[in-house]
Amino acid sequence: MNKKSLVPYLMLMPAMAMLAVFIYGLFNGILQSFGLLKSAGLNKFTLEYYSETFRNGNLLNSIKVSLIISAVSSVIAVILGVVLSYLFCRTGFVNKRAYNIFKLPIVIPHIVVATLVINLFSQSGLLARLCNLLGIIGSQQEFIPMVFDEKFKGVILGYVWKEVPFIVLVVATIMSNIDGNLGEAAQNLGASPFKAFIYVTLPLCFPSIAMVFIIIFTYSFGAYELPMLLGPTFPKALPVQAYIEYTHPELAHRPYAMVLNTIMIVITIAFAIAYHFLIKKINKKVEVRAYD
Amino acid sequence: MIKRALIKLIVFLALVSIVIPLLIILIWSFASSWPWPYMMPQNFSLRGIEEFFGGYSGAVNSMFTSVLVGIGTAAFAVLISIPAARAIKLYDFHGKSIVDFLLLLPVIVPATSFAMGIQVLFIRTKLNDTIFGVILAHTIVSLPYTVRIMAEVVTAIGNKYEVQAYVLGANKKDTLLKITIPLLMPGLVSAFSMAFIISMGQYFLTFLIGGGAVVTLPIRMFPYIQSGDRQIASMYSLMFILITLVVLLISDKLVRRYYNFESTYFFS
Repeated sequence: MNKKSLVPYLMLMPAMAMLAVFIYGLFNGILQSFGLLKSAGLNKFTLEYYSETFRNGNLLNSIKVSLIISAVSSVIAVILGVVLSYLFCRTGFVNKRAYNIFKLPIVIPHIVVATLVINLFSQSGLLARLCNLLGIIGSQQEFIPMVFDEKFKGVILGYVWKEVPFIVLVVATIMSNIDGNLGEAAQNLGASPFKAFIYVTLPLCFPSIAMVFIIIFTYSFGAYELPMLLGPTFPKALPVQAYIEYTHPELAHRPYAMVLNTIMIVITIAFAIAYHFLIKKINKKVEVRAYD
Repeated sequence: MIKRALIKLIVFLALVSIVIPLLIILIWSFASSWPWPYMMPQNFSLRGIEEFFGGYSGAVNSMFTSVLVGIGTAAFAVLISIPAARAIKLYDFHGKSIVDFLLLLPVIVPATSFAMGIQVLFIRTKLNDTIFGVILAHTIVSLPYTVRIMAEVVTAIGNKYEVQAYVLGANKKDTLLKITIPLLMPGLVSAFSMAFIISMGQYFLTFLIGGGAVVTLPIRMFPYIQSGDRQIASMYSLMFILITLVVLLISDKLVRRYYNFESTYFFS
């Protein structure tokens, strides 16, 4: 193939133009976080907004809360998702009609997920009523707060409900392909189905598992809907706090919002880069092993 | 034996935990009074349906806006993704890994930050508060998925059939219409469905870029969820899910009438 041909660049043009808009939006926000916002009469580079934000304890709380939400929900979702993918493949459930039900949460947006969580887990929700019926609790107030609570339990549950099917959809497809070929080969050579899974199928699925982990982690870290609808008044998740600062009536306050946005951008991109190198390393290892 | 039963139980529980929350939504949509501590509503009513289709709520308009924006986004994203995916998979060029990384960005970096950073540009270019502006913003966040899906299909079929067609004397137009597009069709439907789903579900991006002028279903239902009106919130949720599925099914059926293929991403 001709490396100097202009054709691929032309074919990529429309997509790159769209991505340019995306990157412009990010840079615009980052510039404003350094106090460069002409329309507000700010045009001197300064780190003042950063130092002021970091001196404010609320912000550190927001970062912590958002990291906990996304770490806890993503780890639970990935473990459940991988285990279910394995079981679905083993039992041949992936080929059954009922498996399509498992795809439903993909089309359900986060604000509907919020409705589901409130209906089921709030203090007057069905789970509380069931506990009441069984005599575990005597009144609504005795039910552990799961929505609007400071531990963000409802938010985490919502993310897990939405993300597990997404993980299964990605991982089970790859797993059933590998399991059918290499897993079977391993079993023919004497490995038990479980061993074949742990030593052959799972390592080969690892890049896609890492990929979905990064996607759901960064998503739940920066998404507004669930923490806004199901979170407490204090502490506030990072995206929710960022939007509050953004809507401040004074335009000169905008850099504070952009500081929070820049923090979100930096943390998520750091994750993407870490993922990139991790995958490179794994691919190399697999290659080396293949030549041994 | 016990192990088998256990596995079956887990699979069953997984299904139940998907279905039960959705069933509750269905019941709430028609419940007029469902006080604590009852496990079932005491009264049923059609208030939810009346509210949704009554006209005064604007829900039906929002439904059309959502579907219009969703289809616009999906069409736009797919059109852009086809050449991009082919360039990535069929050509070797400098900067390919940069392109790969850039294409990952909109999934990784929160749309929340993007929305706040881009709003000023959209206001300045008069794209804010317009349907086209919202479609543009939705297309950007859908691209990573659509390009990825198209790239998988391109990898699977390669370009050997096109080369064959040229060798046999077909011209460019015929090759495109009779070879390339039919082969890409399953991927096209998958990518279209994915972008449609992503667009339908956007709240924050639509909220900022639509600026109150483009009222999609999520924008319309947000206050009901916030204020805790469970019947109305559930009815909107129910209608949202139904509409999304109906549009996806119709597009799938339409395409299958003309092209014969086995499975796509969502329907098997």
